[in-house]
Amino acid sequence: MSDEFLSGLREEPRREFSERLAQRLHEIDEARASAPTPGALRRFAPALAGAGTLALVSLLFTLEPVRAAARDFLDLFRVKRFAAVPVDPARLARLAQGGLDFKSLVAEQVQVVVKPDKPQVVASPESGALDAGIALAQPTSLPRGFELAEAAVGRPGSFRVQVDTAKLEALALAAGADEIEIPAFWNGATIEIALPPVLALRYARPPDPAVPRPTGDGMVLLQSASPQVQLPAGFELATLGRLGLRVAGMSAEEAERFSRAIDWRSTLLVPVPVQSGTYREVEVAGRTGLLVTYLPPAGSADAGPRRLRQQALLLWSAAGKAYALMGAGNGMDLVETAQSLR
Amino acid sequence: MGGERLLAWLIPAVEREAVDWEAVYREELPRVFNFLRYRGFDRDTAEDLTSATFEKAWRARDRYRRERAAVSTWLLTIARNVAIDHLRRARPERPLDDESVRTEDTPETAALQAAQVRRLRRLLGGLPERERELLALKYGAGATNRAIAALTGLSESNVGTILHRTVGALRARWDEGGAQ
Repeated sequence: MSDEFLSGLREEPRREFSERLAQRLHEIDEARASAPTPGALRRFAPALAGAGTLALVSLLFTLEPVRAAARDFLDLFRVKRFAAVPVDPARLARLAQGGLDFKSLVAEQVQVVVKPDKPQVVASPESGALDAGIALAQPTSLPRGFELAEAAVGRPGSFRVQVDTAKLEALALAAGADEIEIPAFWNGATIEIALPPVLALRYARPPDPAVPRPTGDGMVLLQSASPQVQLPAGFELATLGRLGLRVAGMSAEEAERFSRAIDWRSTLLVPVPVQSGTYREVEVAGRTGLLVTYLPPAGSADAGPRRLRQQALLLWSAAGKAYALMGAGNGMDLVETAQSLR
Repeated sequence: MGGERLLAWLIPAVEREAVDWEAVYREELPRVFNFLRYRGFDRDTAEDLTSATFEKAWRARDRYRRERAAVSTWLLTIARNVAIDHLRRARPERPLDDESVRTEDTPETAALQAAQVRRLRRLLGGLPERERELLALKYGAGATNRAIAALTGLSESNVGTILHRTVGALRARWDEGGAQ
C-alpha cells in the first residue's frame, strides 16, 4: 500500500459543481462591488493608501532645503522625480526591539487637519478627474482583455507635523547617526502637508462566470497633482532627509553622497525593502520613472501550490502631475500602459 | 493616523504581494474537496462543505495574510472548521461509496478498482478520528507534514510518526484480507 495507492481515491470535483461554485463566488464579488459601502472600495484602498503614504514619505525624506533663510516659507514641494531608497526591514525591527518606539516618534507628531475620506466610486474617469481637479490621462493601450472596471476618487486629507527635536535626537542616537545635528530652533516648528485628491482607475479583464476573478486582479492607475508641503523658514530639511536615510540603513557616507546627488526640491524617495524588492529606472514618455517590484519572500513552510505573484509599482511624473501604476507581474505591462497615456 | 500609515509603508507593508485568487480557486478546489471526501463525507455533502468553505474564504479573503499561513493552509483551516460544524449539527457520517471510480476504465478494471476503493474506504472509515483527519490532509488534500502540523497543532515529527504508524496499520489490515 503505497502513497500513490492511498492518494488514488482522489477525484476531480464535478465540472458542473466547479462552475456553479465559481458562479457563486463571482456573485459574491459582484455584490461587494455594487454595494455602496466602503467595503466595495477596498480594492482601491491599497493603491490609495500607497499614494497617501507615498506623499507622507516626503515628510521624512523629500523636503526642500532652505535656500534663503529670509523667506517666510518655502516654495511648495513639487514631485518631478522618484528615487528608490533601499530599506532594511530587519534593521528597523532591530531598532524597534532596541526600544525605539516608531509610533510615538512619528504618529504622535502628526495632527490630522483634514480627515482623509474613504475613496468614492465615480461615474466615469471624466467626472472623477473633474472631481479631483486634474486633467484626465487615460491609457490608449492596455494588456489584452483589460478594460476599465472602476473609477474612484480618494481624498487623503491634510496633515500638520510638529517637530520635536528631542525625539529626532533620540532617533538619530538609536540609528547611530550621531554625525547629524538637529538644530535646537527646529523644536516646535510645524510642517503643513496637503495631499491632493487622487483619481484611481482600475483596469481588469471582464468577469467570467466560469472563473471568479481575484479582488486585486488587473492594474490600478493613480494620478494626482503634486502633494503640497509648506515649511517654516530656516528649516534645513535635507538634514531630516539624511536622518531618514540613516534610519533606513545607509552609512553616514552613503547618506551624505545620496543627499548630495539628488535634488531634494523635486525628488520623492520611495523606500524599497532590500530583501524582497527590486527597482530600476525606466523611461516613460521621455521622463524618468521608477519601477519597483516586490518579490514573494522565500521560506514559506507550506510546499503546496501558492500562486503568489510578483507585484510592480511604476511611479513617474509629467506635466505637473504624479502618476502611480500598480499591478501584478514584472512591470513590463505597466511600462507599456504608462507609455500610452494620453 | 497618518504617521501609522507612514510606518506601514516604511516597514513591512512594502512587502505586500498580490494573491492570484483565480489560481487559488483552480488549485485549491480539488484539495479542499478531496480533504472532505477522505474525511468521510459523501460526494453531495463534500460539495456542500466545499462550497461553504470557499464562500467563507471569499468573503474573508481581504483579511488573509500570507505571512501567517500559506493560502492552502488557510483554506484547509476553514474546511476543517466547516467540517467540524457540520458534524456537530448533522447525522452520523455516511460510509463512503465508490462513486469516484472512473467510468472510462474497462468493466473488469472498473470492477477491480471499485472493490479496492470500497475496501480502502471501509478501512479508512474504521480509523480513529485524529488518524483519519491526518490521512485526509495528507492524501486527500496533499498537504505536507509541516502544513498538517500547523493545522492540527501537532509537531511535525509527531505528524510523521502518526502517519507512518497509521499507514502501517492500514497496510497490515489490507494484507490480512488478501489482495482483493
